[in-house]
Amino acid sequence: MIIDPSEKRKEVKKKLRKLEGLPTLPPIVQRLNQMIEDERTSLNQIAELIEKDQVITTKVLRLANSAFYGFPRKVSTVHQAMMLLGINVLKILIMTSSIFEIIHKEDVGLWEHSIGVAACSKIISEKIEFKDAQEIATAGLLHDLGRVIIKVSFKEEYQKITELISQKVDPLSAEKEILGIDHAKIGAFLMRQWNLPERLIEAVASHHNLENTKKYRQEASILHLSDVLVHARGYGKTLYDGVPPLDARALKYLNLGLPEIKEILFTLEPRLYELRFFTEELKKEIAGDNG
Amino acid sequence: MQRLPVSYLKPGMKTYEEVYDAQGRVLCGKGVELTEEMIKRFSELGVSYVTVDGTPVKLPWEKTLEEELQELEKRFEGIRDENLLQIKEIIKELLYEKHKASSP
Repeated sequence: MIIDPSEKRKEVKKKLRKLEGLPTLPPIVQRLNQMIEDERTSLNQIAELIEKDQVITTKVLRLANSAFYGFPRKVSTVHQAMMLLGINVLKILIMTSSIFEIIHKEDVGLWEHSIGVAACSKIISEKIEFKDAQEIATAGLLHDLGRVIIKVSFKEEYQKITELISQKVDPLSAEKEILGIDHAKIGAFLMRQWNLPERLIEAVASHHNLENTKKYRQEASILHLSDVLVHARGYGKTLYDGVPPLDARALKYLNLGLPEIKEILFTLEPRLYELRFFTEELKKEIAGDNG
Repeated sequence: MQRLPVSYLKPGMKTYEEVYDAQGRVLCGKGVELTEEMIKRFSELGVSYVTVDGTPVKLPWEKTLEEELQELEKRFEGIRDENLLQIKEIIKELLYEKHKASSP
């Protein structure tokens, strides 16, 4: 049977729109959104709301303290995290920690890849003196959100995609063939549903297709380059066994040459070394939960 | 030398370089044998990592240089893109340097 990709795409989007069978966000996210929109809300009130939830607080502080942000001192309160990271980043950390909790149980490799890309995105942003490096790091964390969704919520299709990949079809084409849409678009679609900033949505949507960018070409280029570099270094695991193609335009848009790439990789290495301890700690906890 | 999170430190390990707190003050000189009290103090003062002499802890995920190089070749199999090939050379250099630094 031949699948009509555009029909399939409609079906997938419908499911996404209704959030059918998708990982649910903790109720606190909804509440946070309302508070952020309400101008009368103070940062203190927001911090208080988060701190009431011990589980979320622990997760957020742990992510904030992990090496991908590279803060020299320990972040010990939600308030401090908010001052250092900004409210948008904090919101995304809360979402991500919930989404990735599902995935790192099933797919530690993708989780490792994602935090590696987050760390690398932060380093590149700082290198080119880009504004809001933290926010870009967070986009790095979310760049493969669509893959998580496919794996968790489109299980049958995921099977077919991995079959195609084992027959040497490249992962993006395999996703498009089976779902009519690739993981970058799925991730962005969901991020829009969750009211995340347009800058991050476009970066995630276009991290494999730089020509699709409208306003945020550099953001998308940072994610694209980080994705390639983390694969090249062999940190984490995704559907790509080898190194995915590098779009040379990313280097042009970011005004980076090989000497800068070298600096980036040498800065990244110790971060990845530290992140490994972080991931191991999570793995142990999961093993503990199951045992 | 080996860089370790404070939770991995054990009394008897020797510092490879100075240990600083978050404000940049020296907490401990190099070549000092760690005690239980010092380790406790590091963690209270928010120190996250300390570099010690030798490689006292076997980290199961750490690979040998040969393994790393082999996997690198495998990841880059069939790649002809000039930029990517240069990136590969950079990573090779990085691996050589890393392993040179950590061998006793």
